[in-house]
Amino acid sequence: MITTVLGYVFIGIGILFWFWGTSALTTNRSVLFKLHSLSVGDTLGSIAIVFGLLLKIPREWSLLVLAIISLAIWNTMLGYVLAYCSTSRGKND
Amino acid sequence: MIGYLNLMLRLAIWFLLTADFSLANITIGIFISLILPQSYSSYKNPGAIKDWLRALGEAIVAIPQAYIEALQIIIRPHNGEDVIMEQVRPNRTPGLIFLDIFVITFTPKTVVLKYHQEGQYEVHHVRRRRKS
Repeated sequence: MITTVLGYVFIGIGILFWFWGTSALTTNRSVLFKLHSLSVGDTLGSIAIVFGLLLKIPREWSLLVLAIISLAIWNTMLGYVLAYCSTSRGKND
Repeated sequence: MIGYLNLMLRLAIWFLLTADFSLANITIGIFISLILPQSYSSYKNPGAIKDWLRALGEAIVAIPQAYIEALQIIIRPHNGEDVIMEQVRPNRTPGLIFLDIFVITFTPKTVVLKYHQEGQYEVHHVRRRRKS
């Protein structure tokens, strides 16, 4: 019971992070500034949602833990690639 | 020693994916972990085990730190931006540099823009702008 409620709390926090991070996309700031907000929204928000699911359905823990690891690595490295490409000094190598 | 660490990582992913500890699955997992290609540079110069454990520890500590930074950004808007150069620690192998870039970029206040071969990371920060 408590884990189910906690699961919903984490899912709620994740959704709040999603909306907050995505709202920065509509502002007039630089690409890099938006990337900082998106790392809150996409990476941390999604990890919180999957962690909430982990508390709700613990029998699927192995796939959910794998999802958390994949989210952390994939989103972070994509953020680095976008940051690298956004600077004009990149040599495209 | 690093070879074992690499093997353990591959096996961990295999068991997370399959969630099956039968003898057949363990055998297949070990077989696949051994035949997956390994990069030549990491084989020749694997880096010290101490550095690897420290970098992995930093990656775990980065998770709560990332959430703290996220809450700080959300509660108090960070409108200032700047780029600083961070020194790469000596004797870093490509694998350790990957982990360093991961840890810096994972926390929301900092993003690595570029890794310079001369031994520097170009890091973009968001900061609270001082009232002038």
